[in-house]
Amino acid sequence: MKRSYVLALCSTALTFSLAFSAPVLAGEPGGPPDGIDKIKTVVVIFAENRAFDNLYGHFPGADGLDQASKESLQQRDRDGSILKELPPVWDGLTAKGVTPPVTQAMTEHLPNAPYTVNDPKGFNVPLSTVTHDLWHRYYQNQMQIDGGKNDMFVAWADSGAMPMSNWDASKTVMWAVARKYTLADHFFMGGFGGSFFNHQWLICACAPYYPNADKSPAHPSISVTNADGTALKIADNSPKSALDGVPKFVSDGNLTPDFYAVNTMQPPYQPSGNAPAPGGDPRYADPSKATTLPPQTEPTIGDMLSLKHISWAYYSGAWQYTLDHGNHTPVPNFQYHHQPFNYYANFAPGTEARREHIRDAGLGGVSFIAAIDDGVLPQVSFYKPQGNLNEHSGYADIQAGDRHIADVVSHLEKSPQWAHMLVVVTYDENGGIWDHVAPPKGDRWGPGTRIPAIIISPFAKRDYVDHTPYDTTSILRFITERFALPELHGIVVRDKAVAANGEPPLGDLTGALDLH
Amino acid sequence: MDVDKVIALVSAAGIELTGRRRNSKGDGWSLSFSSGAAVEVSDGGRIGVSGNGAADISRLLDLPAKPG
Repeated sequence: MKRSYVLALCSTALTFSLAFSAPVLAGEPGGPPDGIDKIKTVVVIFAENRAFDNLYGHFPGADGLDQASKESLQQRDRDGSILKELPPVWDGLTAKGVTPPVTQAMTEHLPNAPYTVNDPKGFNVPLSTVTHDLWHRYYQNQMQIDGGKNDMFVAWADSGAMPMSNWDASKTVMWAVARKYTLADHFFMGGFGGSFFNHQWLICACAPYYPNADKSPAHPSISVTNADGTALKIADNSPKSALDGVPKFVSDGNLTPDFYAVNTMQPPYQPSGNAPAPGGDPRYADPSKATTLPPQTEPTIGDMLSLKHISWAYYSGAWQYTLDHGNHTPVPNFQYHHQPFNYYANFAPGTEARREHIRDAGLGGVSFIAAIDDGVLPQVSFYKPQGNLNEHSGYADIQAGDRHIADVVSHLEKSPQWAHMLVVVTYDENGGIWDHVAPPKGDRWGPGTRIPAIIISPFAKRDYVDHTPYDTTSILRFITERFALPELHGIVVRDKAVAANGEPPLGDLTGALDLH
Repeated sequence: MDVDKVIALVSAAGIELTGRRRNSKGDGWSLSFSSGAAVEVSDGGRIGVSGNGAADISRLLDLPAKPG
């Protein structure tokens, strides 16, 4: 039976209170399955910006492109009519500087259907190519999903036909890893939109908040939405058809009208995209900048793990390099908004919690790999690859990230800790790319579009496709159950919303495991 | 180059737009990107880039590099 508590959770930085549900022990009705304690080490690897169909649309046994209905394959224009063809990829399919380029002109008159970027009979662009980025934003994602029909991805994109692209990824190393272990084919991103928001969902299952935003430097970044708050208000001068250009909105900001931060804001602490204030503390970002988010105080999974004395760390690729030398492109191309704990007062510069739990993974993940090889990973690890290795459109390619993550997995398989390990390799969000499966109806914040997730463990079912519905918070569900943690409020709200909408419950990843 | 073109070129390279607002003089736009770069685009098409990652933005926009 679940009970409600109020817990006073003290830290050196601040004291806060929270409501949560008490843990249910393994073996109890409604509790985690027997044998979950066989998992002693959890590793979460968080790549970037791929929808399920984008990489695994032809994976054997999965709910892929061959299972998509005709209706879900066709995109509609902004007036609801079916597009006679896809618009071109505005400014071209390949990123600036790629040679040979696939230009905008070369993408004209594509049929209204998904297309494969590396099709030898088509564009024949290899997996090592950086392609055009796409909008992947909170409101646009909801508008594109269109109540589950997934037929407005092109209509509300900034990149024309780009959302309908996919890849033959059957020769990637991670495809082989997915064949060896378990691929979850109904795993959805925890929140609508982009990386900033979905990293928050990975650690907090919450929407960050900007108090009194209307009286703050961020006030110009408050979005203007429709009456029910699920779509942006379209500007009068917006092109009427997706064939005519990128849509325009009255205000496409980072904050909701009630001041939740849903698109990219910068961390209040360095490393941040915003420099310190002139004469201010060099460890902080300038709070007067419109894009600096004030320190957050919601409890995170890190707080819960610490509360129960479970060891954990967030390993960040190129973290220390960026602090010491600044950022550089194209390598490592550190991404400030992919470091979710750096937004929280509990992990502010100078705190013991920051020193203990936010760790440098090194360039190319070398320090993280050394910890794997030495068998000294904490009980829970999150690993964020540096920018050029994360598979994000616009600045990274699939091949480099695939090889890097597969290399990390191969080290994990040889680790002294492997015998009792669970590894989850997933993506933070869809990157604005279309997928044909309707997300479960949840709460205001998500779930969003379907993404790939691979469950790797000595206990993972072999050569298996798990159809259980999951979202990013399923990772938190597993960690919460395994270590008997208090349940984060956002998970409770998500579960209630999913149930209220008549959807099957979101799983805890144990559907991919054989623990007996 | 107008503000929409600037946003399109920078965003296509995976650098997310994080802020778009009229400047204090009311004669152009102030843009912020996730890299920390800030771009001023006047209504007349003049462009100024500053902040973290300014050199990358300048390259994407084919702007002449600043000496030093």
